[in-house]
This record gives sequence, C-alpha cells and structure tokens, in this order.
Amino acid sequence: MMGKPVSAEFISELLAGMVVNFEIAAIALAVGLALGALLALARLGGGVLGAVAASLIGLMRAAPTFVVMFFLLNIIPRDATLFGVGVAPSGIMIVALSLVPYSASYVADNGAEALKQLRAGSPLGALQFLPNVTRAFFVLVMSSSAGAAIGVTEGIAVILREAVLLPSLGDKLVLFAIGILFFGITLQAGFALMRLLQRRLGQRALRD
Amino acid sequence: MRLWRTLLPALMSALAIAVAMFPVAATAETPDAALAKLIEDARAEASAPGACAQPNLDRLVRIFCENRIRPGVREYYPLFGTREGETRSGYDIDVARALAKHLGVEPAFVRVNAATRIPLLAEDRIDVILATMGHNTQRDGQARFIRPHYYQSESIIVGPRALAVKDWPDIAGRTVCVTIGNGSNAQIVSHNARLMLFDEAGVLPGQLKDETCTLAAQDDSFFDYYFIEPAFAARFDKKFGFAQVPWGMAVARAGSSERLARTLDLMSQIFHRDGIFLEIARANRVGTGFLERQQAVWKQPQCNTDTGSANSACVLPALNADLQPTPFVGRVVAFEKWFKARTGVELSLPMLKTMPAWSLFKDGIVNSLILVAGALAATLLFALVLGAVQSSRMILLRWPARAMTIILQSSPVVLTLVIAAAVAHALFPYSSAVAIGAAIVALGLMNGSNAGQAIAEAMHTLRAERGSAQGAGGIPTRELFGRAVSRSATQIVSFLINAAKGTPIASFIGAPELLSALTDITSFASGRATTYSLLLIFYVVVVVIVVWLCGRLQVWLERRQAAA
Repeated sequence: MMGKPVSAEFISELLAGMVVNFEIAAIALAVGLALGALLALARLGGGVLGAVAASLIGLMRAAPTFVVMFFLLNIIPRDATLFGVGVAPSGIMIVALSLVPYSASYVADNGAEALKQLRAGSPLGALQFLPNVTRAFFVLVMSSSAGAAIGVTEGIAVILREAVLLPSLGDKLVLFAIGILFFGITLQAGFALMRLLQRRLGQRALRD
Repeated sequence: MRLWRTLLPALMSALAIAVAMFPVAATAETPDAALAKLIEDARAEASAPGACAQPNLDRLVRIFCENRIRPGVREYYPLFGTREGETRSGYDIDVARALAKHLGVEPAFVRVNAATRIPLLAEDRIDVILATMGHNTQRDGQARFIRPHYYQSESIIVGPRALAVKDWPDIAGRTVCVTIGNGSNAQIVSHNARLMLFDEAGVLPGQLKDETCTLAAQDDSFFDYYFIEPAFAARFDKKFGFAQVPWGMAVARAGSSERLARTLDLMSQIFHRDGIFLEIARANRVGTGFLERQQAVWKQPQCNTDTGSANSACVLPALNADLQPTPFVGRVVAFEKWFKARTGVELSLPMLKTMPAWSLFKDGIVNSLILVAGALAATLLFALVLGAVQSSRMILLRWPARAMTIILQSSPVVLTLVIAAAVAHALFPYSSAVAIGAAIVALGLMNGSNAGQAIAEAMHTLRAERGSAQGAGGIPTRELFGRAVSRSATQIVSFLINAAKGTPIASFIGAPELLSALTDITSFASGRATTYSLLLIFYVVVVVIVVWLCGRLQVWLERRQAAA
C-alpha cells in the first residue's frame, strides 16, 4: 500500500509514454529492416562488398545503444539543415536511430540466414525470420527506455518523474512494480504472439 | 595678537608646503567632476574641424562625432533584454538608455547573444556590451570590464515545491538540467549530480513544466521572470543558490577604448551611489539586493572619489573561472593544430587540456573498465547461481528463481538500474562506489538471469536425454551441471557481451564511468563532437575485446562439452 498516492493522471501518462516506446521501436525496426536487408544481401554476395558488410555488421553489433544515443545527440547540430530543410532529429528520432545498429545487425544476421534457407529450398525455414523480427521488436520496445536519459517522455520517464516525488523507498518500489507489470504484460504478450506465429508456421510445415 | 601675527605666516607656509607635498590629496576629485571633464574634453575634440574624419579615432570621441552609442544587448532574456517589434525593454536596455542620456547621445542597439557579444565588440560593431555578461577571469583577457559591476547574479537550482532539496547533499545522484558552457556546471558536477545538457536557457522552464527535467540550474536573473508567472511560482521554487558572479559592462581592450572605459567606470560609480541602477532595477522588477548593498558601498567617502573604481576595497573581484591547465596542454594544442593542418578537421580534446577535465577523464576510463569487468563477473556468477537454483528439484528453490527471472526479463534496463540504485542508496550513503556497485549488480542480475535460464533449460534437456540423475546410476548432478553450462555456452557468451554493452547505461544512476565523465567535461568545455566520437570508439573497442575474450570462453566450453 502506498503512503502517498500517485497522481490521478499517472496511468494515462504511463500508457501514453508506452506508446512512445512502441513508436521508437517501430521506427528503429523499419530503418533496421531496410539497412539490415541491404547488408544481408551484400554479405551473401561475398567479395569486397561482402567483407565490408560483414565488418559493418560486426561494428554495429559492438556499438552500445546508450553511447550511440549520446553520440547522435551531441554530433548533430540543433540547427542542422539539408538543402535548406531542418534535419535536426527530435529526441524520439535520436533514440530510434541509436537502436538502428542493433536492429540492422539483427536483421542482417537473421535475414542472411533466411535467405540461405530460401536458397536451400526451405521457404518455411526462411519464414522463421518473422517471429525473430517480432522478438527484436519487443527487445527494441524495452531498450527504448534509454530515451529517459535524454528527456524523451516515454514510459520509464513517466515512472521516474512520479517516483522522484515519493518520499519512501517502499512507495517507490510499489510504483516501480506497477511499471514492471505494465512493461511485463506487453513483453509477455509480444512473446506469446511470437510463439503463436511460430506454431502457425509449424502447423503449415506439417500440412505441406 | 603679536603671537598671531608671528604664527600666521608660518602656518601659511606650512600649508603651502603640505599642498605641494601631497598634491593627490589636495586635488582629489569627485567622480562627477572627473566624468564631466572627460565628457567635456571628448566633446571638444569631436567638435574640432576634421577631428571626426581621423583614422583610429578615440571611441569616446567617435560616440560624440556620430552622436550615438552602440550597446550590444540581448533580445530574448526576459526582464533584462527583450524585444517585441521595435520595442525593447529590460534592465540592460534601460541602463544603456541611461548611459546614452548621460552622454547626451542616442543609443543604437545591436542584437547580441552569449556567443556573439565579445566577437562583435572585437570587430568594432558595438561600443559596449550590456548583455547579462558575467565577469570572470577568463573573459578579462577578451574585453575591458567596467568597474563597478552593474549587477550580480547567482546560479540557482529550481525544482518542484514538493521536492525536498535544500543543499548540495540533496542533489547527489539526481539529474540537473543545465545549459552547455555555463560556468557553474563544474560546481554541480563536483557534487555528484548528473547533468542533462541543453543549448539554450530558454528551454529550461518548458522542460521543468513538462517534467522532462526535475531540477534545473541557471542564473537567478533568468528565473526571475518565470517566478513572476503565478502558475510557475505555484509549482516550482528556488532550492538554493551558489556561484555568485558579478555582471559587467565591457568595452574593447583596444587603447582607443580606454577613455570610453574610464567614462563608463565613473558613470557606473555615480549610478550606484545615486541609486539610478536601483531605480531601473525596480522599474524592471529584477532583484535589488546586490544593488542596495552596492549603493551603500559607493556612498562611502573612500569609494566616492574619481579613483574609487580602482580601489580594491570598493570593487568586486572577477569570478575566478580559470581551470588549471595540464602539464602537457601545449603538446595537445600543437597536435590539434597539426591534425587540422593535415586533415582540415577541427579536432578538440578538452579532456586533455585542464586538470579537472583530465582527472574526470582518467577516472572515467578506470571506472568504465571496473564496470565492464564487474558486470562480466556478476553476469557469470548470477548465471551459475540462478542456473543451479532453477535446475533444482526443490520447487521452493526453483519457482522463486523462475519468478525472479520473469520479473527481470519484464523490466526495462533503465528501470532495473534505477531500482538497484534506489535500494543501494537506502542502505548506503551516496557515493560513486555505491553507484558502480549497484550498476554491476543490476547488469549482472539482468543478464545473468537470462543466461541462468539457458543453463537450466540445458540441464532439463540433459536430464531428459540421460533419463537419470545422481543416485539413479547416472551422472552426478555436479557433472551434469557442468555439461549444461558447456551446452549453453552460446547463450552465456551472448549475455556476457550484452552486459558489457550495457555498462554505459550505468551513467543514468550516477556511476562515474566514461560517458558520465565526458558529459561533465563537455558541460564546461568545448569539443563535443570529438569527445563523443572518442567515447563511441572507446566503447566499441572495449566490446570488441569482450567479444574476442568471450569467443575464447565459448570455444573452451564447447571443447569441454565435446570431451564430455
């Protein structure tokens, strides 16, 4: 039981914040899919281009999201323009872009595997790419909480700003538990969706 | 009477000798008289035929030639310098108008901001800076500051009224929103606060209102305006103030500006003494505490002289903002120049130029490496412990461990770190070591629980495959567990790498690793682009090394499995 109640708007603000987490994850995955697909094709093509793509994928795997986020935040001028158009990214976009190295390298790895399966005559094996991408999406949702560090009002930022006004550790822990519950339900729902997708693909494989 | 007649000539002679011996005391002027003479002389020079066409004209004379003075003022600094259409208002604006009126010329305002005010003065595009400029020792070399100072501000911490923050110990581990380049940032950093950096002060009130920032630090003069708003004042208050800095008008350091500087010195003295600054401040609703104290100072006889502005007992010193340089700063600067000459790229290495930055940088690297090593060790330890517990046949051991794993998997990394930090700070007083320790435990638990789950799953499959356990004629549990660890080598390695990659996020809870250190350095120094590029390179190299080491571990574990 909390000694001090949270604000009346907390739940609605938390849900609105979580929508931002999904938004960030969706952007990161969309860009990652485009970039990762190109890298996967290049890597499978072999040669110099393949070697370059493999090196790039390795570097992107090694780049910590949090550092990439601060790098982008500080390297792109606030008044950056391209052909007279302002291109300085918003906080949400910076977080999304910082997740792109992870999403692109993940898509490249899994995409290359899917292409191999396809070439080996196993379209169903290639379709395993879909549940893997779903898994990546929910990892991105959880990772997007890093945005709280640069002032993006996502779900965790909402929880933390509420927590700062709570006096006791007990109250804070209850609030954090609410946060874990909300994010946990989302994550477990995501994984359930992924399992469903895998089962459907398995059933299809048996039918074929 | 005879005695009087005898003494009078002697007294007169003594008086004449005294006057001759102490001319300064005898000719001491009031600032008013000295100012009147300066203005009169300059006006006379300006009115001489052809005088205004001469090259390298004295700037005071030129002001009379052109019948205008060009004050550089701000246009978006509420209460001090604002502009709406053609209407300018604020304390600085009214001070500039009062100066111009005293000189009998018109003010021709020029817009400046924090970055352009000194360059515009050096380029002779303005005559005087009147733009909320703090007087510190670094700026003394760039402009001639007018003494006495015309205002004084201090940095204040502002936050929600409900938040119990009273002094420095209360901000340790909290995030404070600041503007880049603010001189007081180094002081905030030294009290273990984390900084969130913004380019412009104007965004801070909005960030407080939408709760992006819980605390913000900026000049009190800046927040004065917002505290006039009832809604803002109802939600936020000043927590405490620090880093008092006197504000100075300033003219160019050129010799041709010296008479203008002297004129402004005297006018500033008189404006303090006569309460003119005070009246202007009241009219603009800015704080008057400093001006009231200064009026008392400049009314004192020893200060109210034409030399008062040079009297250290009357004027305030500049804020000492000089940072101690490193012993190798010269070589660093030479390298930056060499690099630019060779590549055309402007490299800036602020972390190597001053001792505070160098110290933060070194500590940041060491702490980052400790954090990485600690996170790897903790991940491995928690993986083995949680793997063993989740593999247990005792339900009372197995299920709590599984529940813990599900909770840890369901919590975003930032939230897990914050929970670890909250618990750690409830048990121990805040320190860097506690923050690093909390981060190591959180990262170890998050990644170790996942790796532990993989070990438990491997154990389950091994048991299913062997269909036996210790006591049933099969492999002893300890050996089986070893095989499970080998079988889940890929997963363990994957989460070890993940733990190493996650270490920079520890800066979020105040662990003074390299990201945190470099953010602190860039808050009071230039070179953000280079600094964050180096940071990215550092962490990518560290992770690549961890990946290589983990690869070796994986090979060893897999060989062990093959041998089994």
